[in-house]
Amino acid sequence: MAIDFKESTGIAFQALRANKLRSLLTLLGTIIGVTAVIAVISLVQGMNQYVSGKLLAQGSNVFWIDKIGFEMDNDKIREALKRPDLTLGDADALAGVLGNKAYVKAEASTNSQIRYLEHKMQRIEVKGVSGNFQQVDDQEIDNGRPLADLDVQRRRSVAVIGSEVAEELYAGLDPVGHDLQIGNRRFQVVGVAKKKGSFFGESQDRYVQVPFGAMLKLVPQTPSVTIGVKSVDAGRIQQVEDETRAVLRAIRHDRPGQSDSFGITTPEAFLGLWRNFTATAFIVVIGVAAISLLVGGIVIMNTMLVSVTERTREIGVRKALGARRGDIMLQFLVEAVVLSLVGGALGVALGSSIALLVGLVSPLPAAVSGLAVGLGVAMSAMVGIFFGVYPAARAAGLDPVDALRYE
Amino acid sequence: MGVLLELIDLERTYRVGSEDVHALAGVSLRIMEGEYVAIMGPSGSGKSTLMNIVGCLDTPSAGVYRLKEREVSSLGDDELARVRNEEIGFVFQTFNLLARADALHNVELPLIYGGVGPAERRQRAEEALHQVGLGDRMKHKPNELSGGQRQRVAIARALVNRPSLLLADEPTGNLDTRTGDEIMALFAQISASGRSIIVVTHEEEVAARSRRIVRLRDGKIESDLAVAPQAQTLAAGG
Repeated sequence: MAIDFKESTGIAFQALRANKLRSLLTLLGTIIGVTAVIAVISLVQGMNQYVSGKLLAQGSNVFWIDKIGFEMDNDKIREALKRPDLTLGDADALAGVLGNKAYVKAEASTNSQIRYLEHKMQRIEVKGVSGNFQQVDDQEIDNGRPLADLDVQRRRSVAVIGSEVAEELYAGLDPVGHDLQIGNRRFQVVGVAKKKGSFFGESQDRYVQVPFGAMLKLVPQTPSVTIGVKSVDAGRIQQVEDETRAVLRAIRHDRPGQSDSFGITTPEAFLGLWRNFTATAFIVVIGVAAISLLVGGIVIMNTMLVSVTERTREIGVRKALGARRGDIMLQFLVEAVVLSLVGGALGVALGSSIALLVGLVSPLPAAVSGLAVGLGVAMSAMVGIFFGVYPAARAAGLDPVDALRYE
Repeated sequence: MGVLLELIDLERTYRVGSEDVHALAGVSLRIMEGEYVAIMGPSGSGKSTLMNIVGCLDTPSAGVYRLKEREVSSLGDDELARVRNEEIGFVFQTFNLLARADALHNVELPLIYGGVGPAERRQRAEEALHQVGLGDRMKHKPNELSGGQRQRVAIARALVNRPSLLLADEPTGNLDTRTGDEIMALFAQISASGRSIIVVTHEEEVAARSRRIVRLRDGKIESDLAVAPQAQTLAAGG
């Protein structure tokens, strides 16, 4: 197969240059389709990285138990709230059975106003912790010390504060050793936790951590606790989870056949939800891209049909000079593919810019992947081939005598 | 000299509406290698149809066409394309150059379809352009060339693949008299170098430059006469 490649590509570019507005309109569908694919793939990949990074920051060998568990359905949540509270006693019993196979912590929280001198912050999460909270949370202290077991046992009025609380309330002052008023009770700051950053725009550094018993003094009644379990051996997490379920069912007198009166939440459950969400996003985008590419392809086909008609005589000349059907076919296919590839390239540029821009102004690490670029280019090339075949076949099938006579 | 082409009882019938039109109604003709033949006839005489068949652009409805002892009347599209590429060089009344391509690229086209590599292609195209006196216009586009220069590019393109036959259709039809004369002088040169030429024309002066005139009327050969050397000299002088 011989092809006048220089002419084919040259003609495509020349046609694009000659009428910029028409070219833009011709390629619009392809540009939009490829832009959508590149931008969304890059963003979703970035978000995936972000979400799994954050969710797994605590380690994949941690799970949580509370009354509700991982539940999205409002009715089920309402039902679950009627279950008996989880208590510190449940956590202690569980810790006793799991022994040195796992770390167990219990936590409950309330929101309260906090104050230092004339500085105030409203609705700050006050977490009461007990058990192996340091091991489960992997908490790092920037300044001062963490809460000690003795603090928890003696229900001391001491607190570790999040880095944002430290900055806002103490404004440059070292908070360690200073007073902290929580509600109407006075605590002493013993440490400042290392900054964790935000998760989907929500700060993870606006909290105060106190011994569980000290937190109880701030609330009218003992709240249901959340139990955190961290398997010492990451490989045996499933076994620890099974054992936890069995132990809690026994302590809480869940009858055989009756469902758990508590819920276990694993990082995988969050990731699963996230994957469902991104899968939906992908389907929507594939739909948008498919429609754009279909429209773009039809426009390219129309442009190519016009081109074939305009150049009927040229096709006749080429045939007279020895071009075979396949040669003409290939020439017009190359033109169509060059057209659609230019659209694809513009789409890749536009989509990448959008992804990178989002990456700049948000915490999402929106890296443009080679996969996305490759997919965009391949898609646009396929549009060119698919929608170029019919015009190219029309050109190739022209009778040389008729074509040469065409005015 | 061998036989270049042989037509035996050639017929070409078109269907127009419900009627059959016999564009060629039994044409037999033999042309030897190296001949310079003019085909003449009024419009509707079938000379264009004959040219299309001789040029392998069209196939006869009946009869035999042998080109260099090969039966080409029943070849398929792609085989005909190959024959056109290797054996025939076309020169058209309206030049039919590609407007977007420069002279060099226009001349390269038959070589592209002949599968000649880029380096050799370029060299041969340059050579052909030098031969028609356009060595200094290779990078010019058709719209930057005069009519005569365009036809020279077309002639270079027709000859670049060293065809057995140069087939020209009213080659001077779009040119003024002086430029037309120049082109016909070039044809005489090409003929002198041994290349077979068929010119389809309705101009007596053009036909007079050839050595044999075949006249068609109503799809049949009306006359087939050698041109007197005297007439040739006169035409060349005029």
